[in-house]
Amino acid sequence: MATDRMHDVVDLQARLAQHGFIAERSFAATLLLTMEMRRPLLLEGEAGVGKTEVAKALARLLDTRLIRLQCYEGLDAHSALYEWNYQHQLLAIKLLEQDDRPIPDKEQDIFSERYLLKRPLLEAITTTPAPVLLIDEIDRTDEAFEAYLLELLSDFQMSIPELGVIRAAERPFVILTSNGTREISDALRRRCLYQYVDYPGFDKELLIVRTQIPDVPEKLARQMVEFVQSVRQMDLRKKPGLAETLDWVAALLRLGVSAIDADGVERIMDSLAALVKTREDQAGLTRPVVEKLVASC
Amino acid sequence: MLTGIDRADVRRPPPSSLEEALVARYAGFAGWLRTNDFHVTSSDVAASMEIALRMGQLDSQVLRWSLRALLCSRAQEWRRFDELFDAYFLAPNRRKLVETRAGGAGRIERDNGAGLRDGSEGMPLSLASGGDGAAALPNGSTAGQGASLEASLGYADFRHLNQPDELFAIDAAIRRFAQRLQGIQLRRERRANAGRVIDMAWTVRRSVSRGGLPLDLGWRRKRRLRPRIVLLLDVSRSMSLYSFFYLRLARVLSARVSDVHCFIFHTRLVGVEQALRDPDPWRSQERLQLLSAGWAGGTRIGDSLDEFNQRHATRLLHSRTAVVVVSDGYDAGEPARLEQALATMRRRCRCLVWLNPLASRTDFTPASAGMQAALPYVDLLAGARDLASLERVLPQVLSVLQ
Repeated sequence: MATDRMHDVVDLQARLAQHGFIAERSFAATLLLTMEMRRPLLLEGEAGVGKTEVAKALARLLDTRLIRLQCYEGLDAHSALYEWNYQHQLLAIKLLEQDDRPIPDKEQDIFSERYLLKRPLLEAITTTPAPVLLIDEIDRTDEAFEAYLLELLSDFQMSIPELGVIRAAERPFVILTSNGTREISDALRRRCLYQYVDYPGFDKELLIVRTQIPDVPEKLARQMVEFVQSVRQMDLRKKPGLAETLDWVAALLRLGVSAIDADGVERIMDSLAALVKTREDQAGLTRPVVEKLVASC
Repeated sequence: MLTGIDRADVRRPPPSSLEEALVARYAGFAGWLRTNDFHVTSSDVAASMEIALRMGQLDSQVLRWSLRALLCSRAQEWRRFDELFDAYFLAPNRRKLVETRAGGAGRIERDNGAGLRDGSEGMPLSLASGGDGAAALPNGSTAGQGASLEASLGYADFRHLNQPDELFAIDAAIRRFAQRLQGIQLRRERRANAGRVIDMAWTVRRSVSRGGLPLDLGWRRKRRLRPRIVLLLDVSRSMSLYSFFYLRLARVLSARVSDVHCFIFHTRLVGVEQALRDPDPWRSQERLQLLSAGWAGGTRIGDSLDEFNQRHATRLLHSRTAVVVVSDGYDAGEPARLEQALATMRRRCRCLVWLNPLASRTDFTPASAGMQAALPYVDLLAGARDLASLERVLPQVLSVLQ
């Protein structure tokens, strides 16, 4: 029944909160679907909105391993799927010189699972119980690597020429993240559920701050979040993400700031390095601008 | 283009069972999304049914969230989904939604612009027949000079976008350009002298028969890095003589080179990449038609480039991106704003090329305020007003990309 499903969604939302992840109800519904259908979930959004944290929270929630593949430009299949342990193979060849078996038999011996180094993708499909596989910043790889992923994400199997097809013992929970620096192919998108992750609104960000840094007083937390929300409205090259908010709140607490007011402007200025991370953005947050933002908090 | 749910419902015979009704419902919704530019396939219909059965159909919120996760695959789709869901599933609110030039959703009435509609070739709107006093040129563009701040409320006629003769000629030129682009070696590639690395798996396999001695080395080629091209086309009134030529160029370039991103700008910026890539030329025209409001209007180059920096630069600009701005530099906005936008852009890209159609004249001097503001940040300023001059310019563009 639908009402039961809503109950499931609310329940998952609460359990995620217990594991330190604050999610909207709609996001919880998507995660519920991901868990039930074991379909990969593509998370898209600006850097710093908490996409990677979703996978970590899911792994904590399911009490399972988190296997992470950090994508980068030039990542190839060998680094992501598997590699042969060449040194050991060469050593084995030397040892097999005295062996009278025919070459194909020796070759089969050398290219056996014993000499296989599992990289994150192979590790993920051969691990039980099902782990959470985080394929982080998929947009940093190229189209060729995306094509490798297609087989894995549709059938959860991969081909190793020397060993044959390896099928997943149990389907992993797959989370892909993208900052949108490159357009991901339609084929890959079609295999995934999709969730766009935006910067958090005031209430959600406040809840996250209170959850992650319980020491911060309620009023101060509200003022800090208000300040960050205002900074995000500015014309910045890189808007502060959630991680920056948490760093900045921690920095202010260390500097002994107890309220966002005119008296604390100096210390706020000192702490801005934790909030804005480019030279132009720091230059834009001049003292008069900060004073104005403080006055509005 | 504006087909919708009402008409689809009329065509289909009434379902005979509950199951059929459900299939019709979700197939209809998939079709509705497809009409509104969503990338929805037939397998998504089956998956929608599965999700509806799994998550239940009585709680509209859970159904909405679940279908959104399944049927959206891009941020633009994500933002529009709720409205489309309401329009389809909430019967009293069934309305037509079409993409606006800003990429968002706008509600419009189905056929209120009878005077503007040109039904002969399925082109809904046309400046040529619009009777607004604009002089129509044979290639579908409108003539006019000078920059203004005013946004045009008119739409352009894209019937001539796919003129075969010119498309073939441009295609031949761009094919040569694309081939040479493939051959470009970036500095990083030149440093990696031979551009190849040892293929260890192959080498080990071959060495088995020689007792493990890797006498015969296997090689594999390194992945080659290609430049990304971002085209920013000025389609304001002063550029109307050249706009269609450059749009054809962009269409051919998008088809030939994989990493090309195209935007048009006048008083604001509009992404036309998806429309240009559409393999169906007529559908491409219709999609451009919807995006073309403001065509041949005023010019705010600085504002438009600033909008690009704000909304797209993070995604598109990196150390291998070549930005090509096509504009005559007549800007009704503040030169300081243009200068600031170009400075920001130049910092983030590999090179900035400015193609000014007027620069191919012998007596050309970059005297306009816009050009003066742009010059310090431009790696190459070249003139290209037609195919012949473009062919002269392309080698220069290639040399800047290297």
